[in-house]
Amino acid sequence: MAQLDDAAFSAFYESHVRALWAYVYRVTGNGADADDVAQEAFLRLLRAGPDTDDPEQRRRFLYRVASNLLVDRWRKRKRDEPIEDRRAGTEPSGANNLSDPRDQDVARTFARLTARDRALLWLAYVEGETHEEIAASLGVGKRSIKVLLFRARRRLRELLHARGLSRTS
Amino acid sequence: MTSWFELSDEEDRSLAAFMSEVAALAAPLIIGDPRPIWWKAQLIRRWDAERRAQAPLDVMERVEIVAGLAAAAALLIWAVPTVGRVIAEPFLNLLG
Repeated sequence: MAQLDDAAFSAFYESHVRALWAYVYRVTGNGADADDVAQEAFLRLLRAGPDTDDPEQRRRFLYRVASNLLVDRWRKRKRDEPIEDRRAGTEPSGANNLSDPRDQDVARTFARLTARDRALLWLAYVEGETHEEIAASLGVGKRSIKVLLFRARRRLRELLHARGLSRTS
Repeated sequence: MTSWFELSDEEDRSLAAFMSEVAALAAPLIIGDPRPIWWKAQLIRRWDAERRAQAPLDVMERVEIVAGLAAAAALLIWAVPTVGRVIAEPFLNLLG
């Protein structure tokens, strides 16, 4: 790859770590996991990142690696945990770290989705990634991504209606 | 196939607004020093380079061992009749 020196890496890290960490944290609801995944993603960027000076390509690589690491964790969890522990909404939301009750409600509502739905919605809405980019990040076929994303949006819409959080409804 | 646009524009705006709220939630991150990550990457890169440089030597070491064993076996096979004769000769002389 086009080598990042210490100073360039520090600058890139400082401008992207917060957003990447927030993505992983909102998907996992776990600060320690977010720390691990974010660090590993930056390490892999240095070891095997794209051969380019374009920061946008580096950013995409970072999210792809982080998403792949998340998928690996879900698969590991599927093997290790009993089925009854894997329902949507049973994961930590991180709401306890928020002081505003409305923010807590937003965090809890988002945590009621499955981890994959959360990742899909975050990549689509917050990162503004295309279907192809999301498919590559989450290791899902391009054909499936539209359906998965539609289902995730529909589930979120139902949650918002149920909790009266939807501003326009 | 289900269309991305099956939800109404209004619903989609509602979801986008909610996702903006999710993105704006405070995250309890304490930004650490990036230098340990950078140094770790340099260290791993150096180990990888050393492993790559060492790989042909490791292969040659195995080749040397195999060649040595083969040579020792060939020598043994070639020497067995001679050694046998040398050992047997005194007994044959005794027997006349």
